[in-house]
Amino acid sequence: MASTVIGAGITIEGEVSADDEIVVQGTIRGKLDAREGVTVEAGGVVEADIVSGPLSVAGHITGNITSSDKVELQAGARVVGNVKATRITIADGAQFKGNVDMDV
Amino acid sequence: MAQTRSTSTTTKHASPAVIGAGTRVRGRLTGDGDVEILGHLEGGVQLRGELFIGEGGRVVSDIDAGSLRVAGTLEGDVSVTGDVEILAGAKVRGDVRGASVSLEEGADLDGKLDCDFQLPSELADHAGHTGTTAKARR
Repeated sequence: MASTVIGAGITIEGEVSADDEIVVQGTIRGKLDAREGVTVEAGGVVEADIVSGPLSVAGHITGNITSSDKVELQAGARVVGNVKATRITIADGAQFKGNVDMDV
Repeated sequence: MAQTRSTSTTTKHASPAVIGAGTRVRGRLTGDGDVEILGHLEGGVQLRGELFIGEGGRVVSDIDAGSLRVAGTLEGDVSVTGDVEILAGAKVRGDVRGASVSLEEGADLDGKLDCDFQLPSELADHAGHTGTTAKARR
């Protein structure tokens, strides 16, 4: 179980930094810094630059993503922003607009 | 739906929100559901559900919520439409306003309490004469 869950119906405007894994079902606006993983579930909205470990998205992200690990765009995901990561997957049905930097 | 009154979670709303022990939030938290804070929050809270500040949780913010339970640390004024429970071990600095306020033994409160409560009828009569500010209602 993730230790931080931003439930549906909850909005955070500001800066979130976590040593825990974060699951977003609601909305975060501002800045998100999570060393452990970030999961944006379907219905979840992140309008923020994200610095994280592994990132998995089924919801919406507007902002630049910097991940030290894998970024996974699942079907239904909508990501607008640049992605910097060591690995990336974009599933059939995911929408993505931005650049990918895999640091090669 | 039944609302559990255990120390860990409440299940009044479909998706609970938890700010984990390793998480810090600087900004405003708003919304409809219940929120449990075990980490650190600084900024503002405006919530229609229950806010629970768990043991080890620390909130520096004024709070506007449906109800409030505190077992951790809170610095800020509280304005709650429902009940406020300040549990043993909690540290609260600020004025507290709620429909009812309960203060457990071992809780630490530094601030004013503002709530309507019912006095026994003898006392209520007496209060009228001595001019105490206690309001007897309900």
